[in-house]
This record gives sequence, structure tokens and C-alpha cells, in this order.
Amino acid sequence: MLKPLHILFTGLLVCSTAVEAKIDLVTLPARDKTQLTIYNSADLTLVREQRTLTLKKGLNRLEFGWENTLIDPTSVQLYAPGNEDKVRLLEVNFPANITGSAVWSIESDIDGPVPVEITFFTSGINWQAFYMGTLSKDERHMQLDGYVTIRNHSGEDYENASTRVIVGKVHLLDEIMALAGRKSPYNRPGTPQYRPLTRDEPAVKMEAYRAMGIAEDMAVAASMAPKAIVKEGLSEYFLYSIEGTENIPDGWGKRLPSFSVDKIPVKNLYRYEEERYGKSTQRLVIFKNDDAHLLGKEPLPDGNIKVFKQVSKDLQLAYVGHVNNKYIPIDQEVELDFGAARDVKIDPVLMTEKTDNYRFNRNGDISGFDRNQQWEIKLENNRDIPVRIEVLRNFNTSHWKIQNKAGNKGKLEKIDIDTVKYTLEIPAYSNTTLSYAITFYEGERQNVH
Amino acid sequence: MKYFYIAVLFLSGLLLATPAAARIKLVALPDRENTFVRLDHPDITLIQEERTLPLHKGINKIDFSWKGVHIDPDSIRLAILQHPDSTRLINVSYPPNEQALVWEIFSSENRQEKIRISYLLKNIDRVITYEAKTNQQESRLDLSSYLVLRNFSGESFASALFQLDYGKDFEKGILDGETRRMLFFDAANLDIRKVFTFDAGIHPWEPQKQTHTVGIPVSYELENVKGNQLGQHALWGGKVRIFQNDASKSSIFLGEDMADFTPVGQKMTLHIGDSRDLSVTQHKITEERSNIRRNRNDHIVLYDSNEEIRIEIENFKDTPATLKIIEPMQGEWEIRKSSHDFKHINSKEIEFELTVPAKDKTTVMYKYVRLNVRG
Repeated sequence: MLKPLHILFTGLLVCSTAVEAKIDLVTLPARDKTQLTIYNSADLTLVREQRTLTLKKGLNRLEFGWENTLIDPTSVQLYAPGNEDKVRLLEVNFPANITGSAVWSIESDIDGPVPVEITFFTSGINWQAFYMGTLSKDERHMQLDGYVTIRNHSGEDYENASTRVIVGKVHLLDEIMALAGRKSPYNRPGTPQYRPLTRDEPAVKMEAYRAMGIAEDMAVAASMAPKAIVKEGLSEYFLYSIEGTENIPDGWGKRLPSFSVDKIPVKNLYRYEEERYGKSTQRLVIFKNDDAHLLGKEPLPDGNIKVFKQVSKDLQLAYVGHVNNKYIPIDQEVELDFGAARDVKIDPVLMTEKTDNYRFNRNGDISGFDRNQQWEIKLENNRDIPVRIEVLRNFNTSHWKIQNKAGNKGKLEKIDIDTVKYTLEIPAYSNTTLSYAITFYEGERQNVH
Repeated sequence: MKYFYIAVLFLSGLLLATPAAARIKLVALPDRENTFVRLDHPDITLIQEERTLPLHKGINKIDFSWKGVHIDPDSIRLAILQHPDSTRLINVSYPPNEQALVWEIFSSENRQEKIRISYLLKNIDRVITYEAKTNQQESRLDLSSYLVLRNFSGESFASALFQLDYGKDFEKGILDGETRRMLFFDAANLDIRKVFTFDAGIHPWEPQKQTHTVGIPVSYELENVKGNQLGQHALWGGKVRIFQNDASKSSIFLGEDMADFTPVGQKMTLHIGDSRDLSVTQHKITEERSNIRRNRNDHIVLYDSNEEIRIEIENFKDTPATLKIIEPMQGEWEIRKSSHDFKHINSKEIEFELTVPAKDKTTVMYKYVRLNVRG
């Protein structure tokens, strides 16, 4: 079902005298072009329409309505590209007792048809990045396919719209959906001009969509030759423009391929950090969004990534897991965290604990001592590939001294006042032990160390 | 003028005897001649209206009633404009259970007298909104300011002179329930400065440990000064929506913020969004006690704490970034060493400002001592 966008332009060519006297009620010609710029950090789409208005010299009045849409009426603007000095939107009047309608006063030096652009914000259209990763058998490489999924729940059908999506986090004061539902577009005096956002907007939006009974997985667009997506950096955002135009009917989703890279070199990292992950070893796949990794042309927007692994020559796959990856700027390292690992074990064991160097106060009570611990971190790689390992130790005090045992593999470094990190690589099917002695200074002893 | 009227009652013996409940109100009133709507107060609007009253010699009763109109009754004033010496307001009385008052005016002769009635009217006001467009380099801004008149006062004004605290007065009609948005002023090519702000008191120190990408707030600073084509008057606070042109002769929306009231000479700061292409990681590297003092029981009562902070900044963008780093300070503190210049903001904050080159890393280190920490 084809529904026109509900921004209806009716009254036109009203002579400059009486406001109420509508002469020559004319329906506007159809949109020449529509452009959608869809955001994903907020439920916000900037719509730009090109239409040709037939204006009279002097003051023209024009009525538009937005009832039953998700349009923010305060955002509606009109420009005449190339004729900015000759055609100006002087005033927008939101009449009393009429909701969803306003009258524009346009001053024109031109008598005749004028191409104009009308822009406004709407809600109900969103997009998300989605990735599919395929690890090679030796897990040294990964194929990565990026997609852009657009969903339209705006109540409008968008036909032949040139479509762009924005990667980035805009600062927004109001939910566009709330502005669209206001009885008085600018609210009434005495009410706050805007309501600070307190909820996590994407969550609210998804909730609303789920309530509308819309499945999360949308129909994939009918297959044609995949369209190119042109990418451009602007301010703190990245703009993806999809080649040509799209038809996105209400209620439909569309997934478009954004990029595909064949052989990204990846590292398999296993990390242990009790403060962050508890007592499990975390499996991470690491690569960098740069030229060396055949990427680095654009930031990778946050989105869900599903990773598979090739297990045989006839392209049989095994599922590795899925993660929500964070936004990755150009040149930053990507850490895909697949959760607790089974085949690599990292187990720090306290071997001995002794105290000495006691200090006593004048009453003969203990006022300080040293706690000496011996630790062994047992590392086991039960995989058929070499792996890189990071072990972070958090001490929760700044009064300590560590002694790394000679012969330990890898590197030990201090991260901050209470954290150290071991980094090493261990071959396939092997194990090793990292040993260290640590002294914690308690009470009075802290004043010496 | 549905509910709002003034009735002029001509005093006579007969009328005086009439009880208040059965007051006769003459509806054939003099029309408003000039109406001024003064919108310079941020919270309340002052209306001043002029009318010509046909006064008789002696005492005249003027009935002023405002049923359904949001007038503050204590604010109503009456001024006699033409013959203040021989025309006098004698008293004001308030009829029971009515939104009305009655003025008794003495006139020395039969004549037409111009009066001005002023009152504070609620639910009519103005808001200012802005729309701005930046250039590609984000160094310049075109600013349009819109005045939005909102009238939900219960009273319609067919035509009134609107007065703001700056700009020219303008004539406009506005009906009850109506909202009107109009262009207020335009200014092109204003200088702006783009600034990133990391506040160590608010933002996480180790962003890589967060489940989502930590954004560093990005703001534009716009100076309201003559050198920047502004500086004529204060800029009212209001919602600002900021756009930027793109390569395809179109534009994108960068973000919006609520601008604060910005007097002449001051800076308007607009938070447009959060950058995820700048990463700031902060660590405390050392913390050592010195100058330890003890009581007779050998308990530590006072010491100094020597601390060191390291801040690593990585700019993944292909343009340099001006970054402000706000560091919270505790107690009695003194900076002992610093890799960069800093500004002492107040007793609890210092601020670094530095430019991080494109695609580069910068490290800020500072050592400080917290003096006289109680044990």
C-alpha cells in the first residue's frame, strides 16, 4: 500500500492581505526527490525533500499538516537553494485549536516556480551495523563482512529515497517521538522547553518496536547487484551514503552490504584479570582497524558480530560466538570478547604465605608487618595453535614490591599503582608457569615502602 | 476579547443603590488603542494597554474583569495619561466571587481621557531557538535565531507592539492558543572553536574496560563579542540545533544543545555530541607518604601524600584536536611537576588544555602533593 508522506501542503497562492481568506487552494506538486539521513545513536532521521513551489511575488501563505506522523513540527524548515535571498520563510504560525497543522509565511521576490528544499526530523526509522566474521582453520585470518540494516517503523512508506546513515553519537535534548506527539509544538509557557533524556533511547525504541510485534530479524532485500556505500567523515561522524535510491515501505527492514574483507590477520589472545572477568580465562580475537589489516578506511560502527570458523576444506563451519562490538575508530585495536575459554587455562596459585618484619607500638600492639607471598601462575594451552596470553594482577593497595622469577617467559610491566601485567606467547599444546614473589606492606611498614 | 472587558459605569443615585451582586456591566467599551506586550522578563509578561474613557464630571466607575484570562490581580495598575491633575483614581474595590475590580475615577469635567492599564499576564511568553550551520573545518558558523511567541493566556491580541530587551519592537497579532515562530536575526561566518573535554571526575579512567565506547564530549565555543559580529546584546538561552554541509550539497545534523543566556563579552558553549575517535586513559602511578607526624601513642596524625597521574590521549582522527582535561583535586594540594601548563580553576579543579596532533598520541603527567592529610 502506497501512502503519501503526511506532510501535506495545501493552501497556496494566498494574497498578502487577509490571513484567513484562502484563495486558490492548491495541492502541491509531488516531491521531486527525497533524502533520508538516518541516525542510530538516537531515534532520529533528517528528511530532506525537494519540491517545486509556484510562488507569487510578495507574501505567500502555505499550510502544512503532520497529523498521524512522527514528525517534529519545530524542526520543519524551508530553503530555496540558489535563491536564498529571494525566497525566505518569514514565519510559521501554529494556529489555536488546530493540532497537527501550521501556516507558513513565505516572502518571495520570484513570480513562478521555485525549487525548494523542505527539511524536518522524524522518528521511527533506525539502522544498525551487523557483521559476520569467518575465521580460517588456523585462526590466523578472518573474513569480515559488514552490513547496514535499516528498519522503518515510521508509519510512512519511503519510495525512491536516497538513503544515508550516520555513525556517531549526537547530543539530543528531546526524543523526536515525544516532540511529534506534542499538542503545542513548542509546549506551553510554564512547562520546561525540553525534558532531559533519562532513558536509554535505543532500548526504549526497541521496546516500542517489539511491542508493535516486529521481529528483530527483518526480511533481507531482494537480491540484486550489491550497491556501493560511499563513506565520508564529517565532524565527529561518519556518513554512509547508499548508492542510488531505496524503497523502504513501513514495517520493512533492509540489509545492505557495507564492506567485505577477505583475509584480515588476527591474533588470538587469552586474558586473565580477576577484577574484570572473575576467575575465568577470557577468549579474545584481536585485529586492528588499519591498512595492515586491510581495513582502516572507515571506523567500524558498533553492532552485533557473529563469528564462525572454517573447520574443513569443504567450507563446513563451526559457530564461535557472537559479541556486541564497540565502535572502533580508524587505527584502533579491536578486541572481540567471546567470553570464557575452555581450552586455554590460566590459574594463579598461592604457594606460600609468610609474615615478618613486625613493628610494635608503645603499648606492645602490632603496628605493622610484611606479608610475603609466592605465586605460581599455571598456563595451559590445549589448542592446536599458538596463543598470546595476558595475565593482569590487581593488588588493591599501592604498598607492594614484586620480584619476578628469572626464567619466566614473556614480559612483566607495571600498569598503575596496583596492577601489573604479564604478556607472553605459548606454543600449541604446551604449558608453562610464571612464578613471582610479592611482599605487601601492612600498617606502619607502609610508611617505609 | 471574549472574556475580557472593561465596563464604564456612569455614576448616578440609582446605580449607587444597586447591590453589588446585581451590578450592571456596560459592554459597549472603548476599544484598545495601543497594546504593548513586554517580553523582557524571563518568567512573566507585562501587558500595557491604552484606552480612551468617556468620563463624566464627578465620580465614574470603571469595571475591569478578566474571567478566564490569566492575569495576576495584584499587578493591575492604572495610569491617567492626559489630565493626571484633574482626573484621579479614588479607590479600587473587588466584587465578591468575580475575577474583576472596579475603579472609581473622579473627573473635574466631562471629557475623553486616555488611560493606560498595565498588568502581568501569565501563559504568554517567548522562547528563542537557534539554528546553526558550520563549515567543513568547523571554524565558522552561520547562526539564525528564531523568536517563538506562545500565547495560552486566555486573551487574544489582534494587534500589539511586542517589546524585547533588545532588537526593534515589532507589531504582531496573536490569538489565544496560538504559537508563532519568526526569524529574529541572522549572522553569518561567526568564529567558533571546537573543543573536546575530558573530565576525570566524570569520565571513566580506563575506557577499554567499559562495555560501550566512551565518548569524549565535543563542544563549540562562540564568543558574543563585537569582533565576532555579535556583542550588540545578550544572547537569550534556548535550544540550538547545529547542522553541517556535506560533500553532496546536502547537510547532516550534528546535534543540539540548550544554550545558556550569554551576556555580551561571554562565551556560549554548545555540546554537540560525543567523539569516539579520541581516547583518554588515566592512571595513578604513585602514591607515597612523607612528612609523617605522630602523637604520643605513636599514631600517625598527619602526613603528606605524594601522587603522580599519567594521562594518555590518543587521537584517531585525521585532524588535530583541542582537548581540555579537567582534573579534580582533593584537600590542600600543590602541583610539584607537570608536563604541560595548567590552569588553576578553583580549589577543587585544575585544567589542562592541549592540542593533540592528528593520528597521534600525547601523554600528560603531573605530580602533586596532598598536604596535611589527617591520619
